[in-house]
Amino acid sequence: MNTGEFDDVMAEFITESRENLDDLDNALVTLEQQPDPGVIAKIFRAVHTIKGTSGFLGLRTLESVTHIGENLLSKMRDGDLPVTQANTTALLGMADAVRQILDIVETTGAEGDETYGPLIEELSRLNAGEATPARRGRAKQQADASVTTLKPRRVTVTLPARRAAGTDAVPDDPPRMGEQLIDRGLITEVELDEVLLRQREGDPRHVGEILVEKESVKPSDVVDVLKTQAEERPQTNESIRVDVGLLDDLMNLVGELVLARNQILQYNGSVFDPSFSATSQRLNLITSELQEGVMKTRMQPIDNVWNKFPRIVRDLSLSCGKTARLEMEGRQTEVDKTLLEAIKDPLTHLIRNAIDHGLEMPEVRMATGKPAEGTVRLSAYHEGGQVIIEIADDGAGIDANVIRRKAVQKGLLTAEEAAARPDRDIVNVIFQPGFSTAEKVSNISGRGVGMDVVKTNIEAIGGTVDVQTVVGRGTTFKVKIPLTLAIIPALIVRAGGERYAIPQVSLIELLRLDGESAVTGIESVQGAPVHRLRGKLLPLVFLNDVFGTPPTKSDDAVNIVVVQSDDTQFGLVVDDISDTAEIVVKPLGRLLKGAAGFSGATIMGDGRVALILDLLGVSQLAGVSNSSAARAQAEANASRNHDLAAERESILIVGIGDRRFALPLAHVTRLEELPVAGVRQGGDHRVVHYRDQILPLVSLADRLDIDARPEDEQNLQVLVCGSGERCVGLIVDSVFDIVDERLEYSDRTETYGVMGTTVIGGEVTDVLDIRAFVAHDILVAAEAAA
Amino acid sequence: MRILIVDDSRSMRLILKRMLAEMGHSDVAEAEDGSVALSQMASFKPELALVDWNMPVMNGLEFVSAIRESREYDKVKVMMVTSESSPRLVYEALKAGADEYAMKPITRDVIEEKFMLLGLS
Repeated sequence: MNTGEFDDVMAEFITESRENLDDLDNALVTLEQQPDPGVIAKIFRAVHTIKGTSGFLGLRTLESVTHIGENLLSKMRDGDLPVTQANTTALLGMADAVRQILDIVETTGAEGDETYGPLIEELSRLNAGEATPARRGRAKQQADASVTTLKPRRVTVTLPARRAAGTDAVPDDPPRMGEQLIDRGLITEVELDEVLLRQREGDPRHVGEILVEKESVKPSDVVDVLKTQAEERPQTNESIRVDVGLLDDLMNLVGELVLARNQILQYNGSVFDPSFSATSQRLNLITSELQEGVMKTRMQPIDNVWNKFPRIVRDLSLSCGKTARLEMEGRQTEVDKTLLEAIKDPLTHLIRNAIDHGLEMPEVRMATGKPAEGTVRLSAYHEGGQVIIEIADDGAGIDANVIRRKAVQKGLLTAEEAAARPDRDIVNVIFQPGFSTAEKVSNISGRGVGMDVVKTNIEAIGGTVDVQTVVGRGTTFKVKIPLTLAIIPALIVRAGGERYAIPQVSLIELLRLDGESAVTGIESVQGAPVHRLRGKLLPLVFLNDVFGTPPTKSDDAVNIVVVQSDDTQFGLVVDDISDTAEIVVKPLGRLLKGAAGFSGATIMGDGRVALILDLLGVSQLAGVSNSSAARAQAEANASRNHDLAAERESILIVGIGDRRFALPLAHVTRLEELPVAGVRQGGDHRVVHYRDQILPLVSLADRLDIDARPEDEQNLQVLVCGSGERCVGLIVDSVFDIVDERLEYSDRTETYGVMGTTVIGGEVTDVLDIRAFVAHDILVAAEAAA
Repeated sequence: MRILIVDDSRSMRLILKRMLAEMGHSDVAEAEDGSVALSQMASFKPELALVDWNMPVMNGLEFVSAIRESREYDKVKVMMVTSESSPRLVYEALKAGADEYAMKPITRDVIEEKFMLLGLS
């Protein structure tokens, strides 16, 4: 053989051996749970194959490592040695060594210097039936302890049927030996059960062999059945291996074809020619089918990534001293190969988190009435042109208050922001940079990779990740990714005479404000346009303003595209909404690379280019993404200078008349907008019905003797101080801003209700003496709450 | 000469195929276990089968027994190519109807020698 051919063989050997090793890991984990002669035989075969071939290829170290492992396996197979955790741990160690050797061989062409002495010693000792002496390493000690204390830490891996019906071209296995013999009336079910029982008790032989020995059937009967099985077994040489680069090229070509198809369809709309129309319809159908077909060739079952997880769950739960069961559903769900590679690390991280942080220790679980064994459940399915992957644990859940405390402690949120965000929402803070709930950084999840990286990686491929958690019940992460990256569904909108594409994943809903509501539907809060959507304020971004294009509108209606970007929802106001379309994503040209607001471009049916909007960029350009994320970032930066940060506080800036006033936000429980129509005169106070309470109102304009100039005649801007029965509402004209500042002021003023004057944001601002308007006990309670 | 390689390892089949090609045998078919091999017997009509022992579904020994059951395949030569080396197993294989037995890792010289013993060119 010449070198080139030898390299071929070596490459094939490495690929094949890696495939075998993946199965091997899972088989060993299954074996530990339930000793099964069939599984041992399978593992034995895999190791045996690697050993046999490595001899041919002159890989001596590999041969000796697998040889000793094979010996141990053959003793386990023949029932000479039991299946213990020590044995499986050592065999998993062998699998790791084999992997390592293959990696070295792949990169250097030779085996390297490592001889794996300790591993071989360990395997020899186990071969001789000796128990493992105490050894270094936490995992090993625990593994050993579990054997000697007769309280094995069990790791169960439930693998449901390998493939869902109809999802795969490979048909199921033909009926098994026992079933066929029963069908032929040669044995009874009772006889078969006896044989299966013997197998379970450790008889390594096949069903046929045992029956022949019992003289229940003739050898020729068994051979007959084997022949039938062989005939029913399909020819498996129906698949070929194709270079991924070739598939990528094909995908690109199909993308071009889709564009050309769109252009022809567009042209077809402008001419009247029945035969051309029929042909272009046919082209349309064929292109769609071809696109689907080529996409399919790039699809791989998600199991290609998942099959690494049983081993990870086993090793991890052992080293944390937990017991865990991994359940997988939808293993054959298909995902584009590129995307599959991209989600591998994020998913692994989520699984690790579920075991390390999610599941409680067995004692804790038992104490709360849960089974000692925790469950981590992976499921995957297709929904609405996307792939949904869920990672659910039945662990402790995430306590919203713990998150709040941590977020404030790490400077990600202010106490007010943390308190104001509802429980359901606050968990999302775990995706922010710099957040980690682990009390101490463990060597399992805390590898310096946080949930923010998981989120970033998933979003980089156009996906999203959500978390839902119930304290005491568990946590579910829901990852949504597109089926493919190259061709995506999008909404085409118009603004300033240009067309833009908005990826469908970001769309929430479309709104159209007609006639009267086109005027009244857009309000202004702190000078920023908003729309009140089902009682919530939706910030509006006028696409024309962002890109400086003149509006080109055919009517007076306002078209709002409600979109989600990061954790901000906003309404994008466009001139017109044209259509939804499958667009082919093209990277931006070099000159546009740096332009914020665009993630790519596509070519429309008429041959013109439409830019694909990057909504995060658009929201930043328009300044609506400020909210918590940006502020958290600013605060994180600020908190590096801890002394300075400690003296800062959140300051609320309000307008009364033509003056600006500042007060510490800590004194205020909420900011409310209450309808003027609801205000009643109660005694010498004005009051309003608020949250099942009567809220007394104090007009700061009256008390400070300033002419009120409310921005909004219909609604009162009210600062609610205190809570429950002890609360009061301070009426101001407008709420300008909340800033983080050191509140320093000159106190030369003698004015009632004003403590001094300062400059905030370049403007003269009076510091309100809130004690002049609000009873002392209310303030104390408010501060304590904050 | 038509040769059927029966082995569950892709790389092993590739190695054997290369060796046979160097010896001038290119009329070669592959099967990844005994039952697949069995289903190819009628169509491919091999004159020689190189058979591994340890395979899933139907192992080498079962395959040999199965084809020796049938008159039809009397003329087909069978050579076990395996790393199972215990004399008991060699005996079992020969008893089941294998004509030759070669131990992995096998070299081209060994194959040529065995071919001569089997009276094949």
